[in-house]
Amino acid sequence: MYASSKSSFLNTHHLFLQFQPDPIHILAHAPHSKAPSIRCGLREIKKRIDTVKNTQKITEAMKLVAAAKVRRAQEAVINGRPFSETLAQVLYDINEQAQLEDVDVPLTNVRPVKKVALVVVSGDRGLCGGFNNGVFRKAETRIAELKNFGLECSLISVGKKGNLYFGRRDCEVLDRCIVGSGGFPNVKDAQVIADEVFSLFVSEEVDKVEILYTKFVSLIKSSPVIQTLLPISAKGDVCDANGICVDASEDEFFRLTTKEGKLTVERDRLGVSGTGLLPNMQFEQDPVQILDAMMPLYLNSQILKALQESLASELAARMNAMSNATENAIELKKELSNKYNRERQAKITNEILEIVAGAEAML
Amino acid sequence: MTLNLCVLTPNRTVWNSKVNEIILSTNSGQIGVLPNHASVATAVDIGILKIRLDGQWLTMALMGGFARIGNNEITVLVNDAEKGSDIDSQEAQQTLEIAEANFRKAEGKRQKIEANLALRRARTRVETINAIS
Repeated sequence: MYASSKSSFLNTHHLFLQFQPDPIHILAHAPHSKAPSIRCGLREIKKRIDTVKNTQKITEAMKLVAAAKVRRAQEAVINGRPFSETLAQVLYDINEQAQLEDVDVPLTNVRPVKKVALVVVSGDRGLCGGFNNGVFRKAETRIAELKNFGLECSLISVGKKGNLYFGRRDCEVLDRCIVGSGGFPNVKDAQVIADEVFSLFVSEEVDKVEILYTKFVSLIKSSPVIQTLLPISAKGDVCDANGICVDASEDEFFRLTTKEGKLTVERDRLGVSGTGLLPNMQFEQDPVQILDAMMPLYLNSQILKALQESLASELAARMNAMSNATENAIELKKELSNKYNRERQAKITNEILEIVAGAEAML
Repeated sequence: MTLNLCVLTPNRTVWNSKVNEIILSTNSGQIGVLPNHASVATAVDIGILKIRLDGQWLTMALMGGFARIGNNEITVLVNDAEKGSDIDSQEAQQTLEIAEANFRKAEGKRQKIEANLALRRARTRVETINAIS
């Protein structure tokens, strides 16, 4: 009788082993115990399923929050449009008129470059996929490039993640860490950076200022780019590090719209239209002073635009990362549920067999 | 005939409606603008903008920029603008004190430039509140 129950036990054990070849189940079991481990395994798997369910709820919520914020970021860009359009118009016109005279504006001074300041815009929070890492990698390559050219480099980091990263690596070129006001970038944040950059440039501590931010290409793609902030070229060009320039009068704006039910990004090129300056417009002060007043405005708006695009890219990256995480969580939950059910059924089968064997033994 | 005033900041449009008269602080002094003013382009200093609307004077703190006047249309582009009614006097006073302290502590050309700008801005905000009351 003992022999028969033992053989039936071995049989069920053999069946039991057939059902679970996967690593998840092996992990869920303590390797040394056999019969009691079934019950522990059930509870462990149940706990894991609950954990995964909670994580899924969190990631889904984060994705929805990021999606809502992307829309607001887009609205912020649209709100800033009247300003940039008018500014570009007037700058263009004044530059045309001022080019006839010999104008010397400190912010357009092109000096022989010995030291370059690099403003790196990163995010404040994590869980956004490869967003921050892309920025840091680009920064490192740029610093190495500048070193190869024999130029000194000074780093200004904007954003908590960047501050942590560069602070941890004991970067000798790190100059200052700026923390934004949290939430959407506003003029005060841009002002802080602008003041810093302005004073660095005017006091001739650096000869060129570049800004590294992530350009919002589409909801799934964003690329870190480097643009030259100072010196501003006389035409109001915004130049890439490689010298590819975009005329201020043809500045680009991105816009999230729905096309055929899917979210797409449209880039608008604003064309210079309207009167700008009227033909017989007098200058209250000489053009030099007026340009002097306008260049900081232009600088400020460029920095703000960079911050806004960076934020939009970060939100899009977070949306994608959280959406992937949610899908993974759903899949994992399904797998775990399968395991759980199989174990439960195996346990019931075991009990039935034991009862039957015991009944048989009694007869 | 009324003027149409448009005050724009990089963030938003602060003011976009008709006014009777404005007084603007520029680098070369204050200028008053009435309807049918001549066409002028001028730089705007960190200072107070006074607006007369229906016999009432409203104040706004401007943080430097540019103004274009012509054809009964005034466009003011500034880095930041705050209506006098939106500024909290306690907070403005504190900001002023901090700015003053920073200015005294500043060393080196670069810090002095930054501190100076911050001080002027803080002072303008406090003056804007005092001008209404």
